[in-house]
Amino acid sequence: MRRFLDLLYKGSGWLAAGCIAVICLLVVCQVMFNLIDRLSSLTTGAAVGLTIPSYADFTGFFLAAASFLALAYTLREGAHIRVSLVVSRLPAAMHRPLEIWSLAFSLAVTAYFSWYTAKLTYESYFYKDLSSGMIAVPLWIPQSAMLCGLVILTVALVDELVTVLYGGKASYAAKGEKLLVTDDRILAEKQRGGGQ
Amino acid sequence: MPEIGLTLVLVLLLFALLASGIWVAISLLGVAMAGMLFFTQAPLGDVLATTSWGASNSWALAALPLFIWMGEILFRSRLAEDMFSGLAPWLNRLPGRLLHVNILGCGIFAAVSGSSAATAATIGKMSIPELARRGYPEKMMLGTLAGSATLGLLIPPSIILIVYGVATEQSIARLFIAGVLPGCLLITLFVGYVVVWSLLNPKSIPAGELPMPLLQRLSRARSLLPVILLILGVIGSIYTGIASPTDAAAVGVVLALILSWHSGSLTRQSFLDGLMGATKTSCMIAFILVGAAFLTVAMAFTGIPKLLAMWIGELQLSHYALLAALTLFFIVMGCFLDGISVVVLTTSVIMPMIEQAGIDPLWFGIFVVIVVEMAQITPPVGFNLFVIQGLTGIDILRVAIAALPFFLLLLVGLVLIVVFPEIVTVLPNMMGG
Repeated sequence: MRRFLDLLYKGSGWLAAGCIAVICLLVVCQVMFNLIDRLSSLTTGAAVGLTIPSYADFTGFFLAAASFLALAYTLREGAHIRVSLVVSRLPAAMHRPLEIWSLAFSLAVTAYFSWYTAKLTYESYFYKDLSSGMIAVPLWIPQSAMLCGLVILTVALVDELVTVLYGGKASYAAKGEKLLVTDDRILAEKQRGGGQ
Repeated sequence: MPEIGLTLVLVLLLFALLASGIWVAISLLGVAMAGMLFFTQAPLGDVLATTSWGASNSWALAALPLFIWMGEILFRSRLAEDMFSGLAPWLNRLPGRLLHVNILGCGIFAAVSGSSAATAATIGKMSIPELARRGYPEKMMLGTLAGSATLGLLIPPSIILIVYGVATEQSIARLFIAGVLPGCLLITLFVGYVVVWSLLNPKSIPAGELPMPLLQRLSRARSLLPVILLILGVIGSIYTGIASPTDAAAVGVVLALILSWHSGSLTRQSFLDGLMGATKTSCMIAFILVGAAFLTVAMAFTGIPKLLAMWIGELQLSHYALLAALTLFFIVMGCFLDGISVVVLTTSVIMPMIEQAGIDPLWFGIFVVIVVEMAQITPPVGFNLFVIQGLTGIDILRVAIAALPFFLLLLVGLVLIVVFPEIVTVLPNMMGG
């Protein structure tokens, strides 16, 4: 189970990264086409008219997929930001109840969000909604990437909540990018917090 | 007025959620849900899903992860180090030394990207480790970065000016030109402040390098070449019309990959690390944007922004008093909503007021953008603060305090363009039309 969940979070993170790479590739191809067009209209006087059909739509869909699929991975890596200034000043005994409150609240919001995204996706599927571009894409396809991301985030929050309730530490504890916070400073702040 | 009470309840709720350690994006979603649930009859869940889908699949937003990826690639290459060692001997004499790299770097990058979050993420990722290694004071490092990154909004190409131009039927080209001089003015103010601060606190600025003969300085400056090529490539692709400002981000990624491959710092590992880093950062920002978009829609349902704007309209203020009231209004709104939402939400209500007062809508566009810049560095909702916390691990409130002097400098810039409106209008007037 543990291995499956870790693979799920990691895998969706990698998939999101893949989407960003695809966005880059799509846009670069379009720029190349523009360049070829420009050169050909300079030399032969006529543009070839190369273009990737509906490329703005596709970029948007991959962006949404990247943003939502990475949610759980970003959570576990500690990259979603939160205000820690107030909590870190409170007595250490308060930290666990507050962590449980944060996780429970986030879980409620995310579960609700997932439910209505599922409804939206189902309605798009049911009414056969299409995107408005040259290539009409059934909207439920990109929307289900958003749905998957939210559901995986819900699973990850349940996972964290259970871990913390059983006395463990959340996976994101003391993670995240800290270009300016060195280990001894975290230690000093902990000691200050513990002394109060 | 029940709306005032309602606003206060929502504001207090947002503070409470944020303070208890709930993630920023979730807090925004939570407050918006509470606002809609208790004060409107709208179908909450359906609006939530449609708004989030609409806010997350925009093509213009695709520039954000790409610019962040570019920053990650540059951060993992020797480029940043080279840029600093190339610039250091030239900035030796200027009080504040390499702190100016933050300001000038942001100013130049603002000309490449249209967003202040991308500017803060890209420049900060390169400059903060270098400045920290050299022992520059943390407060000034964070302040210059947070303050100057807001220039991304003002210096063309700017996403928010495009939004304003579309919303108010102003020429976008004229708006872009109008932003040039105020942008230079703000850079001058920032540089001036760093100089004065460094003269007052000479001990806080680390010692410079030994003076170098001009020839040696010039040969060191060769290490600036890759960065200059990168910037020229990105800006060039925009102004030759090959790439839109969004497309230019992808050009930046490709150029950054080529440059880091050329300098030998591109490995499989560094490529994947950079991509995953960009995925995380852009996911964090996109999730907050979704939260902010939903909060904006929820607020529109409750009618609070419209009522506040109408209330100001009823006061029948003089020219300066009206501008002062609007500044205050935008700053308060900007504390909770993101910049583009503020513009979209309020222009329809405020523009008639502005035209009635005889204020030039072109000038007002620049005015609004500077106020929105100020909003980027005010807590609790300030995107530059979020990005910098994500980057450095330092809490947004501490970053906000470091950015306070720059907030005041933006205010000075605002007063200057009110007193001397020519700063904004002279260039577009020369353009004619």
